[in-house]
Amino acid sequence: MSNDEIFAAAYREHYWAVSRYVARRLDGRSGEVEEVVAEVFTVAWRRRADLPPVPLPWLYGVARNCLANAVRGYGRRRRLVHRLGNDESAHGRQVAAGPDAEAPGSWVHEALSRLSSADQEVLRLTAWEELGVEEVAVVLGCGVRAAAMRLHRARRRLRAEIDRLSVVAGGMP
Amino acid sequence: MTDELELLHSANPFTADGPFYGDGPLDHHAERRLNRLLHERRSGRRRLLWSLVAGAAVVATVFTLLLGGPSGTPAVAAPRPLVVQANSTPVSLKQLAALAAAVAADGTPVLRKGTHVQSWSLGMSDDKPPVTIPEERIVRWNADDSHTERVVEDGHVLKETTYPPSWSDVPPEARPPHDVAGLRAYLQETAYSKTPLTTPELLAAVGELLDHWTLGARESAALARLLAGADGLRPVGEVTDRLGRRGEAYVYRQSGSRLMLIMDPATGAVLGMESTFTKDQPEYGVEAGDVMDYSAWTR
Repeated sequence: MSNDEIFAAAYREHYWAVSRYVARRLDGRSGEVEEVVAEVFTVAWRRRADLPPVPLPWLYGVARNCLANAVRGYGRRRRLVHRLGNDESAHGRQVAAGPDAEAPGSWVHEALSRLSSADQEVLRLTAWEELGVEEVAVVLGCGVRAAAMRLHRARRRLRAEIDRLSVVAGGMP
Repeated sequence: MTDELELLHSANPFTADGPFYGDGPLDHHAERRLNRLLHERRSGRRRLLWSLVAGAAVVATVFTLLLGGPSGTPAVAAPRPLVVQANSTPVSLKQLAALAAAVAADGTPVLRKGTHVQSWSLGMSDDKPPVTIPEERIVRWNADDSHTERVVEDGHVLKETTYPPSWSDVPPEARPPHDVAGLRAYLQETAYSKTPLTTPELLAAVGELLDHWTLGARESAALARLLAGADGLRPVGEVTDRLGRRGEAYVYRQSGSRLMLIMDPATGAVLGMESTFTKDQPEYGVEAGDVMDYSAWTR
């Protein structure tokens, strides 16, 4: 198979998994999700000669960078672009959850959001992307032992936040 | 006590079997983007222009205006915004739409796949100068469904590429309808939107359509009616467009930028679009009145 065919197969197999990765971190703002996913695969296309045999963790790593860029902006002019676009799209394009639209498990999200972004990411990769610790290491670009340690610490901190929230709420659901 | 990872796992906002972003075959947009990558299309640039204007993603070039002078050396200066003729009486889009309908009575000219567009856009890379030379792009389709794309810059053919036969039933490669409702849905699909388009989104989608198709009289008539129904497009009067043609201008104001739609007063067809910054943004190196990008289409 040529690089192009391998790329196309990876695209078809992993497009939705990558979309879910992005959506989980963009609160599902659908217009932006598609944009970022398109960027991920554009980058992957340009580097298709480097596509690993198990491409998904690598694709998540690319997505992580694209997300950071999407938020931070590539540079001054692109930040302007982003701002102009958001000014227009901000009005009524995102469905705002009302106070009574409590999704089940939203308190877990609340607990998660109180952690550092590094802790959140290692926990999301493990619990939502369901990656093993070697795969987490690929995404984060660190060694396996470092990934294992980060996960261990993040779990403890999440546990602490959950305990705090359940004390306030008056018991575990 | 339930394991904290288990708790987090059960609160996964998007799952492989869920209703959003669930596993399955690619949707139209994903499929289209894959095709574009495989054929090395200009998807990167198109997407950038899209978000740039949050609307009119159309680039027009009139290199005759910019290249000026008998010496023929390109004047790499930013284009000046089009000026609306003072004392011209604006023509409403409704009137233009009625005219377009009348002109479409005999069904000619007919729809044709391909485009001839002249475009210019402000450079977006931080390390290169912001002004780029305008380009002319000519796309012609052949009877065997292959097509040729020629890019001309500064009078030189930069690139001529022939693509193998391809077919697509996805906008904007698919044939556009010539009824208003159908065209509206087509443009919504072009814009990847699941909801009705705002005016800037509509203009951007129209730009994408015109970058792929040369509309016939019937399609132009439907488009004119669609545009007449769009919010916020204000008729401002007559302009001379980037190709020296007489046009009627319609303006949509956004925060920070102004979109201009230019229509042919004789036929009601879309001649071009452009967008201009309306505020100084010194931290980005732009001033009020700087042109962001423009496009002009010819048959």
